[in-house]
Amino acid sequence: MPDVAVALALAWTTLLLVAAGLILLRARDTLQRIVAFDLLASIVIALLALLSYLRDTPYYLDAALALALLSFVATLAAARYYAEGRPF
Amino acid sequence: MLSGLLDAAAITLLTLGLIVATIGLYGVLRMPDIYRQLHAAGTVSGVGVIAILLASVATRNAAVIAHAALVIAFVLLTAPIATHAIAWAAHRRRAVVRDARDTRGHPVPPE
Repeated sequence: MPDVAVALALAWTTLLLVAAGLILLRARDTLQRIVAFDLLASIVIALLALLSYLRDTPYYLDAALALALLSFVATLAAARYYAEGRPF
Repeated sequence: MLSGLLDAAAITLLTLGLIVATIGLYGVLRMPDIYRQLHAAGTVSGVGVIAILLASVATRNAAVIAHAALVIAFVLLTAPIATHAIAWAAHRRRAVVRDARDTRGHPVPPE
């Protein structure tokens, strides 16, 4: 894969990260903040994958896997806490 | 020949993923209530991220492809559960439905 394509995709994904930050700042209530954090985690996973293609090393994808795990548990705990007043 | 085809497929997948992620983010900014925002957010973590991870085949690096497959499996498993948990919390706390419409686009009065 040409490096130029990956670098362009990295730049565009960084812009998407800024857009997700704007969604987080515009959020009106707690649920919208939870959605915005979920979006931010997804975009950072994509960013780490693109960085891994650019540098040709698999270690950034390990970080992406750990981030996916943490954001999944965090979203689940935050949603359940918002609904019931206790995480589990 | 085959190598060029692989590159073209990877660039197509990257473009598709980025376009879907952009549309999803615009949808989250634009949609009036949390349920429709979740519908738009699901496309980012679903199609968007997975298309970008599938583009790893063009790196021709077995370790990178194996790790990307692991991340794809995990995201496929967990993203719907996380989205469902948020929707369940919204339903449980009686989140407001703004500007409700039926399948023909006519406004529906609130219950």
